[in-house]
Amino acid sequence: MNVIEFKRVAKSFGDVVANRDLSFEVKAGTIHGLIGENGAGKSTAMKVLFGIFPADSGEILIRKKPTRITNPVQAMRLGIGMVHQHFMLAEPETVLDNIILGHEPGWFPGLIFRDKARKELTEISKNYGLAFDKWDVPVSHLSVGEQQRVEIIKLLYQRSDVLILDEPTAVLTPQEVKELFQNLLRLKQEGKTIILISHKLKEVLEFTDYVTVMRRGETVGTKVTNETNEDELAEMMVGRKVSFTYQGIRRILSDSTEIPSILKVKGLSFKGLSESCVDVTLNLRQGEILGIGGVQGNGQSEFLRFLSNPKEYFHKVSGEYTIRDQSVLADSPLDLRKRGVSLVPEDRLAEGLLLQQDMTENFLLGQHEDPRYQSKFPGLLDRDAARARVEQNIKAFDIRPPYPTVWSGRMSGGNQQKLVIARALDSKPEILFVAHPTRGVDVGAIELIHEAIMNERNAGRAIILFSSELEELIDLSDRIAVFYGGRIQAEFGRKEFDPWKIGKTMGGGNKE
Amino acid sequence: MSDNLMVVRTSFIQRFFQSIGVSSFQALLRSLIKSFAGAGLGLAAGLLVCYYAGEPPLKILKILYQSSFGSGYDFGMTLYYTAPLILTGLAVAIPFKAGLFNIGAEGQLTVGALAAAWAGVLGAGITSPFLAVLFAATFAFAAGGIWGAIPGFLKALRGSHEVITTIMLNFIAAGMTAYFTLYTIKDPNSAQAETIPVPESFFLKPYEVFNGAPMGNLIWFLIVLAILMHFWIWNSRWGYCLKALGENERAAETYGITKQRVWVSSMFVAGGLAGLVGLVEILGNSHKFKIGFSADWGFVGIAVALVARGNILGVLPSALLFGMLQKGAGSLDLETEKVTRDLSYLIQGLIILGVASEGLWDGLSRFLGNHLKQRARAKQTGGTK
Repeated sequence: MNVIEFKRVAKSFGDVVANRDLSFEVKAGTIHGLIGENGAGKSTAMKVLFGIFPADSGEILIRKKPTRITNPVQAMRLGIGMVHQHFMLAEPETVLDNIILGHEPGWFPGLIFRDKARKELTEISKNYGLAFDKWDVPVSHLSVGEQQRVEIIKLLYQRSDVLILDEPTAVLTPQEVKELFQNLLRLKQEGKTIILISHKLKEVLEFTDYVTVMRRGETVGTKVTNETNEDELAEMMVGRKVSFTYQGIRRILSDSTEIPSILKVKGLSFKGLSESCVDVTLNLRQGEILGIGGVQGNGQSEFLRFLSNPKEYFHKVSGEYTIRDQSVLADSPLDLRKRGVSLVPEDRLAEGLLLQQDMTENFLLGQHEDPRYQSKFPGLLDRDAARARVEQNIKAFDIRPPYPTVWSGRMSGGNQQKLVIARALDSKPEILFVAHPTRGVDVGAIELIHEAIMNERNAGRAIILFSSELEELIDLSDRIAVFYGGRIQAEFGRKEFDPWKIGKTMGGGNKE
Repeated sequence: MSDNLMVVRTSFIQRFFQSIGVSSFQALLRSLIKSFAGAGLGLAAGLLVCYYAGEPPLKILKILYQSSFGSGYDFGMTLYYTAPLILTGLAVAIPFKAGLFNIGAEGQLTVGALAAAWAGVLGAGITSPFLAVLFAATFAFAAGGIWGAIPGFLKALRGSHEVITTIMLNFIAAGMTAYFTLYTIKDPNSAQAETIPVPESFFLKPYEVFNGAPMGNLIWFLIVLAILMHFWIWNSRWGYCLKALGENERAAETYGITKQRVWVSSMFVAGGLAGLVGLVEILGNSHKFKIGFSADWGFVGIAVALVARGNILGVLPSALLFGMLQKGAGSLDLETEKVTRDLSYLIQGLIILGVASEGLWDGLSRFLGNHLKQRARAKQTGGTK
């Protein structure tokens, strides 16, 4: 039976068409993958289904009945639940309170019968094999994977039987991904229907029953997962053949001692808010990509923050940090920028973008003191010059929608990331810190971003690449340093790259 | 990458629309209509209240109109009420851009006004009216600015919340200015708690047409000041830093905007602008500092900024609206039997509510739109069957 059927659904925002023509059906009790490039309209399609945006035209059938869903509450009543890419949890509140929000149990007005909810939740957790019992812990104390599980339990508590998950693995570690999919398979066994929005073809191929491919707001087709393969899906998504590993020219570094290091970190130790760094020593040469790997929470994030804003750590840090043999321990981000350093931050929403400003304003962030964007009149900015650069970058990076006046908050994750990267490269930096450049970004865009990074490397820039995806590090890096417990556990040269060995050091093992 | 860098110069008009947050002339009209309709709705509700209180609505409307624009004197008085609100409205709206809530305009204007009066005492020898006014303005701006910068500093150095510190500084300002008024520059010839009057060269001459209402060239200066502030915030690097910090503190910091600097500077400018109320009151009206001279202008400024929806240019019409209502409140009290001053404040409140309830309008028009669409669709499908 089809639980959900889209029939020629269309949705546009002003001049921007998000969904042109969507037609597909989801069978009950299956895991249904929905894949497509950034801006292909996956998230919009699901938000239409979930009642956040009304459709402009077309029909949605829920359990064979044409239904017009106008708000999320109605969708929930119809048994449709959604886990958003960015979790919708109140972090200081307990797990229990987050889950029962809007469905508080109890018959007396104003009173909440938490014990009743706790009992019910324990039952749900047991029935679906979710192994979760931290009901009275504040959400902020949970790991990202656990928070996601809370979101799923919340949907089960609301008795949803269609679960929409928007890019659920984008923020998880490999172990957490494994657990998530075990849970999802179990839910399927219990008769739930799951719609999985993803850009990771491997997961989609491994865990779904059907997969629908979207391109530029249209559904290209639906396939039975067993009867298709990675290449076919990728081609459907992008509309042409795609290569999965970077295959451009890799300029061979001559013997590394010949090229002096441009950036040096020596004996660096400090205690950060959540992570620390212990005795970190690194050198970065021009024309190389130094990959920084490790399981999240082992000091890489703090290390990046230190590298890009040493001034903030000035009083609590010991060790050396030099660029071109000058100490930069007291530098602010702007000082570093003047030395030719540029940054792609870890979390583009929290650290990289002004969501309610247009692309031009966002492009100026961090470049607001760049002489190219200063007007002749002292103190004023030249937004026309900035906008012209944005137009160029829109073409170069294929940013969609292609208008500099679009709010960055209204762009899809991948396009936001392209904007952040275009901005970082705009000042022609000599040193580039790039963190998770392809997190939550799909195949077509990944290719483009990887190519941009490699081009920078081949043009002689020095790049430090932070990534939690080992494949990405291996594809791009010339060397990989693995963080464990705030230390550099091991360093690998390109010849020694071996996923198994690197993975072992990420878990705290030794290199040999 | 293409070599022919095409710089498309956006037209002045386009950029102006962008700066006030609308995309086109139609959008501007729409937003204006929305505001006016809101004010109208609020007024209607207020009139309804008056009707039940026993006063015919038409009479109320007539009094309100007469009291705002009825004569040269009335219009002058309306502008006299508007002028301080332009300044305090800016003093709230500008830090608001940087994410700061300045509740301290009242204290800042008090300190600024005292400084203006003091400038008159110190600069008694200045005979050129231009220099005298400039001297007093500098004093008022600096004093108000420093008073405003204190919460900025406290936030930057110690992380104290600006809402708490600005409220506290309001009390300190009241006490401190009272002390100086009573003990340092008290007018020995007066039995009132007021300072020595400023010399005549400091006086701002009112226009003849206003028939004695204390308002002259100053109003033009304030209008130009607000327009300049608007364009400065929109086009300058400083304004960019303000907006970026106000929208996403972490991103602004990551990309090298020093939040401490923005906090202090925006609060200094805000305090300085509030301090300029000294020009309106001391140089323009009473010519001396009297304890408790302000009709809560600093607090009404918060409402002015909110109704302007944080838009710097919007402070001008918003301040005029509040000026009219304040002026009208007194007249209603005098000229009707049933509508007391309190009731006229109630009408004020309803009008503010109407203007501020933008969300209500959006919701209402969307609801109506959907409703109409649905009906059209029902008709269509009904027709094809």
